Amino acid sequence: MALLALLLIPLLTAMVLLVATPTRYARGIALFSSLVSLALTLWLWSNYQGIPVQALDVEWATAWGLRFTLGYDGVGLLMLLLTALVYPFIIGAGYGERLQHPSMTNALLLFTQSFVMGVFTAQNLLLFYIFYELALLPVFFLLLYWGGERRRAITVRFFMYTLLGGLSLLFGAVYCLVQVEGFNGDLSALATLDLPYDTQVWLFWVLFLAFAIKLPIFPFHGWQPDTYTTAPVQGTMVLSAVMLKMGLYGTMRIVFPAVPLGVEHWRDTVIVLSLVGAIYAAVIAFRQSDLRRLIAYSSLSHVGVLCAGLFTCNRLGMTGSLYQAFAHAVLAIGMLYISGALKERVGSSEMAAMGGLKARVPRLAVLFMLVLVNAIGLPFTQSFVGEWLMFAGLWQVSTWLSLAAVSTIVLGAIYMLYAYQRVMLGTDKWEIEMSDVSLRDHLVLVPLVTLTFVLGVHPRPILDLVEGPVQVLLTSFPSLN
Amino acid sequence: MSALVLLSVLGVLLLYAGLFGKRTLLAPLGIIGLLATMVVIRSGWMMNVPLVGAMVRFDHFGSVFGQALTLITVLLFIFGIDYYSRVRENVAEQYALIIFSLVGAVLLISYSNLLVLFLGIEILSIPLYILAGGKRDSFRSGEAAFKYFLQGSFASGFFLMGIALLYGSTASLDLATVQASAASASGSAHMLYLLGLFFTIAGLAFKVAAVPFHFWSPDVYEGSPTLVTAYMSTVVKTAAFAAFHRLIAGMELPGAIQTMLVVMTLLTLFLGNIVALRQTQFKRLLAYSGIAHSGFLLLTFLGSDPGAPGVLFYYSITYSLATMGLFVVLTLAKRSANGDENIRIFRGLYRSSPWLAIVTMLLLLSLAGIPLTAGFVAKYQVFLLGIEGGYILTTAFAVAMALVGVYYYVLVIREAFTPREQAPELVVSRLNWLVISFCGLAVVVLGLVPELLRF
Repeated sequence: MALLALLLIPLLTAMVLLVATPTRYARGIALFSSLVSLALTLWLWSNYQGIPVQALDVEWATAWGLRFTLGYDGVGLLMLLLTALVYPFIIGAGYGERLQHPSMTNALLLFTQSFVMGVFTAQNLLLFYIFYELALLPVFFLLLYWGGERRRAITVRFFMYTLLGGLSLLFGAVYCLVQVEGFNGDLSALATLDLPYDTQVWLFWVLFLAFAIKLPIFPFHGWQPDTYTTAPVQGTMVLSAVMLKMGLYGTMRIVFPAVPLGVEHWRDTVIVLSLVGAIYAAVIAFRQSDLRRLIAYSSLSHVGVLCAGLFTCNRLGMTGSLYQAFAHAVLAIGMLYISGALKERVGSSEMAAMGGLKARVPRLAVLFMLVLVNAIGLPFTQSFVGEWLMFAGLWQVSTWLSLAAVSTIVLGAIYMLYAYQRVMLGTDKWEIEMSDVSLRDHLVLVPLVTLTFVLGVHPRPILDLVEGPVQVLLTSFPSLN
Repeated sequence: MSALVLLSVLGVLLLYAGLFGKRTLLAPLGIIGLLATMVVIRSGWMMNVPLVGAMVRFDHFGSVFGQALTLITVLLFIFGIDYYSRVRENVAEQYALIIFSLVGAVLLISYSNLLVLFLGIEILSIPLYILAGGKRDSFRSGEAAFKYFLQGSFASGFFLMGIALLYGSTASLDLATVQASAASASGSAHMLYLLGLFFTIAGLAFKVAAVPFHFWSPDVYEGSPTLVTAYMSTVVKTAAFAAFHRLIAGMELPGAIQTMLVVMTLLTLFLGNIVALRQTQFKRLLAYSGIAHSGFLLLTFLGSDPGAPGVLFYYSITYSLATMGLFVVLTLAKRSANGDENIRIFRGLYRSSPWLAIVTMLLLLSLAGIPLTAGFVAKYQVFLLGIEGGYILTTAFAVAMALVGVYYYVLVIREAFTPREQAPELVVSRLNWLVISFCGLAVVVLGLVPELLRF
């Protein structure tokens, strides 16, 4: 029941916001709803025993393989936790944006939350697909209404890209449902599909395409930089902190169990593609002059490593990838928030126009640095744990791949510090008075930074959470381990 | 049978009401008559009894489709109250012609003899030729009527030729006999049979606007009065597909015909969707989207699954509901934009009338096949059928084309939700609001609970 509540709280709040449009209190209501969700998720976590939970199982249209089945295991719980945790920050970030129609924005954000939670809890293949597509719709409107320049074209491109993946996934799902006798769409039954090798080889791409686009990995990333830059800050936060993880989760939950032989067949290809994308994005990030665009490309670079780690198909790599997914969410929110805060003060996110801000906003500069060290993956930060695990996993696959992955860290340090230099350091050329960190900035950034360091020093809780599911997944690849 | 009589009488009554100048009575009378017809069909009276020398048989299939078709016509009539309130002349005739055309549709869903199939098509079409030219002072309307008439007669010729050839090879016009001799015919008789079936299917393909027999559809859709276009793209299309299904369901299709159907499906999917991408006029867009949906519907004919008629029913009815709603919205938006039909007229719709914009979005999403709308369930079932029938590549192609389809619907949604300084002022009468809301809610509710539209 708690799971259903987790889906319904944001959904109903969003509907109330849409209908009643309480312009002044919209943010407060949304924030309250997201905090309730967070509390509920933490409660679920404290009650989690390490065994997968099946919470709800209702008939829907069983005749064609659709049941309303909700549940979660360690990975699902991690994703729920991540979503619930970042949402208050996302909504809180909205206090700075002077957007029209706050009730509508917050309603759309909460709709997304509800559907994303649906994705992470659905235990039926079709139900998963339905939530997966639904999560796209509110973001579409968020972009269309509150995006920046050229948003009309970019919005549609984003929509079409994602839908291409979605339909491909649907085709794969239908294929499995029809071809495999006795398969009822239950996710836990995916591991018993036992499709022939040749089928798995092509079905892998049919299923994986959706997630490859969602993540996105090279060369399916065409929609990402523009969308991240154009979307309002909150939209980008949702996309990079939460929806990106849908790709990771889907790969792990659907592609790995359903077509293990296909995964083995394409493993090296995907790892190489991911790493090529990661390095390529890092190089492009260095060349960016717009802070938001730089963040977009750095996200692309991080995701490449994330995906490579997942596809190592060994314990270290997969654990690291999941851990890093969590770290990346915290990181993305922090980075995007700072870019928003800077834009608020300077009026643009062009880095060339900034410089010397450290003298004006010294505290913000410190917080920026603290967020940045997480992005670079210095020791005692979350990213350090995740990335170290992933590199170790990649090392087991191939030394060269691991080296390639490590090089993204070096590149990351270069472009991040270069960005810091361009924004904060240099001569102070600012005539105008600007306020340093406000209470709101503190409320968002300090918890995020604290979280980064606490989980960086003490990663056990998260690692424990994913250990069980990773062990189960490993049994899908007996020949690789 | 009783439905046929009832509808014919209703048509005549409407003509009389018009003769005595009772304009306000027309639509209510028509709606009551249609509802009565629906009740009669639903009661199952004289069901499964061979009638008129075993040429017509109302079975379960006919009954279900009959109810749905009358229901959609009821919606059309409610829409008509507002639509015809500005027209002075010949309103009664137009209502009556729609009813007469519906008689043909009822024949199409219940025939068991090829001659009745032909009769049904003609009774369905001839009123349409007149209706298409309903705006007598409009050049385009006249053009539409003339084009429709010429190409329609041509198709009828094809069709008759096909029936004649089938008769030549099987010595019977009875549907069951013709279907049964698919396997037994051999030699030159087989050749005749194949040709006969080919021409018959070509004639029907014309009615459902399947490529390459679709050329009439965009021009006729665009030129005809919107109400008539709505009728053509819902009731007429559904009835034609039902007739198509009756013709080939349950028979062992010869290989050549099977190939023909696959090719036709692929072409229809491709052309309908690709050409729709280039459309800026909303009515034309809906015409091409209609062609595209014909492609998906044709997919249901490929396999021989017993669930196929159910899927056909669900798909065609949900498609009809969504299209009907959109035509009403189009009429309103067009009115406020002084007759412009470009999709730009929807810009700012969300600002001026949020509910209308949301419903429009739902209807378009349903046509696009986004989850939780009826359109998704419909497409999903079609894909299931396709893969089950072993047509994996054809289905994969259909999935790809579904993606293309999403694009042009999303463009319209984008227009509706793009802000504009001077938002269009739409005047929505209460009845139109009712029709639009009904369609919008229907596609969502049917998507959530597909069992409601059980076959």
